[in-house]
Amino acid sequence: MSLFGEVIGNGRAVLAKSGSFTLFTLRLLQVTPKALRRWRLIVDQVYNTGALSLVIIMLSGLFVGMVLGLQGYDLLQRFGSTESLGVASGLALLKELGPVVTALLFAGRAGTALTSEIGLMGATDQLSAMEMMAVDPVRRVCAPRFLGGVIAMPLLAGIFSMVGIFGAQLVGVTLMGVDAGQFWSQMRGAVELKDVNQGILKSCVFGFACSAIAVYEGYHALPTAEGVGRATTRTVVSSSVAVLVLDYMLTAVLL
Amino acid sequence: MSTSAGAAPPPGSIAPVARLTGVGYEINGRTIFAGLDVTIERGKVTAIMGPSGTGKTTLLRLITGQVRASRGRVEVNGQDVGALDTDGLYRLRRGMGMLFQNGALLTDLDVYENVAFPVREHTRLPEPLVSRLVLMKLEAVGLRGAARLRAAELSGGMARRVALARAIVMDPQILIYDEPFAGLDPIALGVVLRLIRETNDALGLTSIVVSHDVREISLLADWAYLLSGGTVIAAGTPAELDHDASPAVRQFMDGLADGPVHFHYPAPDYAAQLLDREVPA
Repeated sequence: MSLFGEVIGNGRAVLAKSGSFTLFTLRLLQVTPKALRRWRLIVDQVYNTGALSLVIIMLSGLFVGMVLGLQGYDLLQRFGSTESLGVASGLALLKELGPVVTALLFAGRAGTALTSEIGLMGATDQLSAMEMMAVDPVRRVCAPRFLGGVIAMPLLAGIFSMVGIFGAQLVGVTLMGVDAGQFWSQMRGAVELKDVNQGILKSCVFGFACSAIAVYEGYHALPTAEGVGRATTRTVVSSSVAVLVLDYMLTAVLL
Repeated sequence: MSTSAGAAPPPGSIAPVARLTGVGYEINGRTIFAGLDVTIERGKVTAIMGPSGTGKTTLLRLITGQVRASRGRVEVNGQDVGALDTDGLYRLRRGMGMLFQNGALLTDLDVYENVAFPVREHTRLPEPLVSRLVLMKLEAVGLRGAARLRAAELSGGMARRVALARAIVMDPQILIYDEPFAGLDPIALGVVLRLIRETNDALGLTSIVVSHDVREISLLADWAYLLSGGTVIAAGTPAELDHDASPAVRQFMDGLADGPVHFHYPAPDYAAQLLDREVPA
């Protein structure tokens, strides 16, 4: 096949996949009101995707905050304004690092778990069995997992940012000797509600994208070990790229 | 003597539960069925037999609307399955129960919740009633004591029995069994055989059983179809098939390697391939 033909073929495949993903997402949204009535299923998924991701989120948040504290201190002392470390780390975590790093970790931990779980359910005929019992798998399996992810992401991002600020304070104040009063008071004075809201909005959008991608890939995985493995890989790659692209777009709009 | 290939069971006054007329089905360019005619009579146990890869499970998927025929017509309870939308299919399937080859139990639920699953999804029965229904069905398959085991803790045979309990918990009109005897020990096999027969007769159901097991089918079925090469090669009562002298039927019923049905998948000449050290493409 010529290069041109290959480009056309790949372009068509991308368009077909985008269309399929859009239709699937619309179907998810369509069944969401019914799925919301089964709130226990959603709570279970908030636990699976959220609570079970807490350790990795908190550990990552702590170290990201500590690195931010070190780098921020190094940079700010060149300008003699180390007291601004609280503002710098607070804004960086709440507006950018919290939502973005949480979403990337979420895709790697919870997204892959969702994809492989749904994919294996397909490979072992569990989804077919549900269809045979006149139960819509999108409503019963995909929607609760999708909603669980959408709810869990902002909560995880909030926890990530809080632990991150604590990490920055730990390094900046305890280790490098920045004044604790200045660290906190400057942060309180400069960080506004709109900055927090921006972070929450971003994490909601990322939660929507990552969860939709994860359940889509799982639901459409080939019913083989290789198929489920590939779908899991696609989830991480697509979610990561989607998060970074959406982050730029949201930042450009919200600034 | 068996009836001619594809012929319906002896005519009854009641309309058949399912009728496949001139059904064709292809997958990835490979023809699975070419002009298949099958009639499933109401109230009977009908067996679908045939060598591996002849499309027995696909036939079930056509009946349940999981796949659609490329040609011909699939009718269930008088409805054209190919013309039904998703809601129509779900309405149709509410009257069906299906036992999958591997059980297809929901792995995040225990045995009790697996059996209760269709009841909880489709009814708002109070918990004590759900509990009684589930325990009755589990007792019937001998697994009431395993109610709180996880699906992953069950052996293959136990999983199949739980799946059977789940398939009958809503008392469907049509019960479809895909290889129900595979992996069962002799005791469980006897119980399942009796259960299929008794459930069918006591509740006035229609059962469709896909199986390779000639002996079990001869004990269980009222009528049997033998599939090969994308079509029905023989149909009749198990006793009629047992006395059928046609080579293809004899090969299957007697388990012979040589006969009209090829055991080997089409391949180039064996000796030539070995001598040429040719690596299969």
